[in-house]
Amino acid sequence: MAQKNRLLIALVILIAISGVLVAADMLRRQAQPALAGNTAVTLTAGSIPIYMDGQLVAGFSPGDLDQLKKASFIEAAEGVKQEGWMLRDILLLYIPEEELRPDTQIVVSSSSRGKSAQLTWEEVNTPENYVMFDLANRGTLKLVSVMEKLDERAEWVQDSDRIEISSP
Amino acid sequence: MKEKYFSTFQLILLALFASLVVVAKIALKTPLRLPGHSGIFWMALIIVAAAVVPKKGAASLVGITSGFLAAFLGLGDFGALNTFLSYSVVGIGTDLAMLLLPNTENLLAAGLVGALGHIGKFIVKYLFGVITGAPVGFVALGLLWAILGYVVFGALGGMLGAMVISALRRAGFFAYLAEKR
Repeated sequence: MAQKNRLLIALVILIAISGVLVAADMLRRQAQPALAGNTAVTLTAGSIPIYMDGQLVAGFSPGDLDQLKKASFIEAAEGVKQEGWMLRDILLLYIPEEELRPDTQIVVSSSSRGKSAQLTWEEVNTPENYVMFDLANRGTLKLVSVMEKLDERAEWVQDSDRIEISSP
Repeated sequence: MKEKYFSTFQLILLALFASLVVVAKIALKTPLRLPGHSGIFWMALIIVAAAVVPKKGAASLVGITSGFLAAFLGLGDFGALNTFLSYSVVGIGTDLAMLLLPNTENLLAAGLVGALGHIGKFIVKYLFGVITGAPVGFVALGLLWAILGYVVFGALGGMLGAMVISALRRAGFFAYLAEKR
């Protein structure tokens, strides 16, 4: 077979693989049912639910990112730049600051990884802590920070899919 | 006595390339914050390994060996199995692509082989996400962006590998290797 034909076949295979992956992701997205809480809030596929004292109060969706300023820091352990959106900014989009006390507990968790991080509003609200979501390669969010309990890969909450806030 | 498919000398060379893949992954940090950017080093090494040991299965062996090494060193954040499979699939994908495009000294061919081999790693990562029930991509464009990153950096790595192979040939490295075998 001529080299030109081989190159074309390889290119077609590459495009086909990419197409199948994108189509599979779209189907997965559509198959994920919209979740509804006992409030008027409806979650769309891909959004992250925010619960306050057990009640679904909001769903953080991709469109909301446009309203937020990006933040970044260089992670000390691996020297990798973490860039994304501060958790405090995300929460303040939906929850009035008056409802959050310094000792309000905030738990960010990932059901697929079985991981979670428990933080106080004081920690989240301190800009120097850089408690933020970084966009992972697969398009999911991981919770990272410069704080000791969240500054290593093993401590990050990859594929975060739930935020729970509980008043003390 | 039946001759071994890979000579001891070739196995040593492939093991060296496998360790180089792992070292490159650990030591070479690029400021690029783009998905799949490590494919530049990764695919270059695998393409060169497959040219230095021009036998079917050479790239797979590099992939599998580097997968073992990386898994034992605790690389990756999805666990050892994911790390092992990701590294292995890169090698296996490269071997499969080289069945169609064996001449990796050709820049275009090497680029496509690199892209095909590297996208295997992305497929493993994606499938692991699906199996473990990871949430669907938060940003729809994220997946397409990631695929593009893996393809582009894999292709660049393949081309870099092709250039290294040409340079080695000009330097007489392959003639030297032929004597050693």
